[in-house]
Amino acid sequence: MIEIEALTKVYGTARVRAVDEVSLRVGAGSVFGFLGPNGAGKTTTIKMLAGLLIPTSGRVRLAGFDVARQRSAAMAQLGAVLEGSRNVYWSLSAWQNLMYFGRLKGLRKARVAERAEDLLTDLGLWKRRNDKVGGFSRGMQQKVAIAVALISEPPIVLLDEPTLGLDVEATRTVKQWITEQARELGTTVLLTTHQLDVAQELCDRVAVMRQGRLVADLPTRELLAGFRERDRYEIRVEGAAPPGFDAVTREGVTTMSVRVRDPREVYDVVERLRAQGAVLESLTQVQPDLEDVFLTLVNEPTDA
Amino acid sequence: MTFARGFAAEVRKGLLNLLAGWRQVLVQMITFPLFYLLIVLFMGRGQLRADLLLPVLLGMVALTFIHEQVNRVFWSYLGDIQSGVLEQTYLTPLPSAASILGRQVAAVISAVPTALAVLVTGAVAITVQGGPLPFDAQMIVPLAAIVLGTCGLALILCGLTLVFKRIEIITQLSVALYAIAGGTLVPLAALPDPIAFLSRLLVPIAPGIEAMRDILLGGHSLTTLPTGWGLGWLLAQPLLITTAGVVLFNRLENLARHRGTLARY
Repeated sequence: MIEIEALTKVYGTARVRAVDEVSLRVGAGSVFGFLGPNGAGKTTTIKMLAGLLIPTSGRVRLAGFDVARQRSAAMAQLGAVLEGSRNVYWSLSAWQNLMYFGRLKGLRKARVAERAEDLLTDLGLWKRRNDKVGGFSRGMQQKVAIAVALISEPPIVLLDEPTLGLDVEATRTVKQWITEQARELGTTVLLTTHQLDVAQELCDRVAVMRQGRLVADLPTRELLAGFRERDRYEIRVEGAAPPGFDAVTREGVTTMSVRVRDPREVYDVVERLRAQGAVLESLTQVQPDLEDVFLTLVNEPTDA
Repeated sequence: MTFARGFAAEVRKGLLNLLAGWRQVLVQMITFPLFYLLIVLFMGRGQLRADLLLPVLLGMVALTFIHEQVNRVFWSYLGDIQSGVLEQTYLTPLPSAASILGRQVAAVISAVPTALAVLVTGAVAITVQGGPLPFDAQMIVPLAAIVLGTCGLALILCGLTLVFKRIEIITQLSVALYAIAGGTLVPLAALPDPIAFLSRLLVPIAPGIEAMRDILLGGHSLTTLPTGWGLGWLLAQPLLITTAGVVLFNRLENLARHRGTLARY
């Protein structure tokens, strides 16, 4: 599991607070979405988590090991794919990369070979294992980077924009992998992404950062429920729009958005529609998706 | 155990890169001996003089090692910083010293084909010109001093690379400076005293080259080196430079981790 306590990073003489007193706790075997607009401090936080950046204050523990004081033990718990980085050597083959990083992780040669074979087979790269990574497509390179992150079977994996720039098929493979890692192997996955549909689909819990601070940290369902608009319904009827309703008609179906003070008032609306001869096709309470919630959170006025 | 496995993996990776870049090695195996012969020709006013072939050969072999150790390690390190791969090596339990040490050993091995090409060319030229071709096992000591001192220099340059962006100019300048003021082509005794003093003090290859010349050309033993500052300094200088390299690298690495410059992609 990942524990972050009051993590702060202040840069330069201008004293820019890139990350400000962030505290988090990510449970074992969960997929945690770390969201925020560009410049919110996500990557800075990820790099402090990975020990690549020394925090100004605060503490990070990976599976109980303090990243600052027990770096070696903490790093043994971790695998990561970083956004913007090549992550692996393009001049080496997929196989050579896995052997190299596996040995760097301290694994025995035989164990690395066994693990590399499994990973490359599962990711559909076995036939291309001896080809240089530089000649691979973006999706294949990302798969090799993920394989490197998983070579030592770490209990914690950090994925910074894992599906960025991938096509539909590669995105699906990566998503399946993330789910499998967490559900079947109990790996703790922390991922950042701007693809909010991916986060909504995969994450058990979501944290949103804005201007270096956490503005939300809740289970995904709870977060969405908190933003559910209990007073808004979408009603679809066959044919033209009945008089007295704000409606849009497309291809013979009229969609209306109705706001009520009390959910019981919906029955009155349906009754009015029936009286006007409208044929009801569907009635649904409007559910916000993660994108709606995210935009609301990051656009809320700040205290400052 | 992690250190040993990581170190071995780093050496292996360096050798794989060496194999992948065999064309570059081949070009060096041709150009370095040519460069050596040209220098001797220039110094001999158009003639391959036997009395110049051996002293310049010793300097050229040392220069080959410093060129490979500094350039190969520096450029691979800079490449890893700019591509972001260096960060992945920090996401392991491996101390960065093992990685640097592995890179150095791979660089020393990488220098061997070119150094051998220079040596063979020199030996052939000396034989053709009828000059002596002496060998003394004591040569290993100054050669080891050169390699170790250069490791220290490479550590300093790698540390600087972690923090500063435009360090490649300094790297190129330092190799050129060592070629000129390190006693590779012209013996330190023939240089102005202040330059000779600074070279003996700071340039990792200078005491080694002086010692090799004393042993092979002068027939002296390691304990009676007449030029330079003697055996003590020959052993102490590379150790001091390497110690300085370790201390500086650690400090600069720490600074890079504070500033977030382990990667610049």
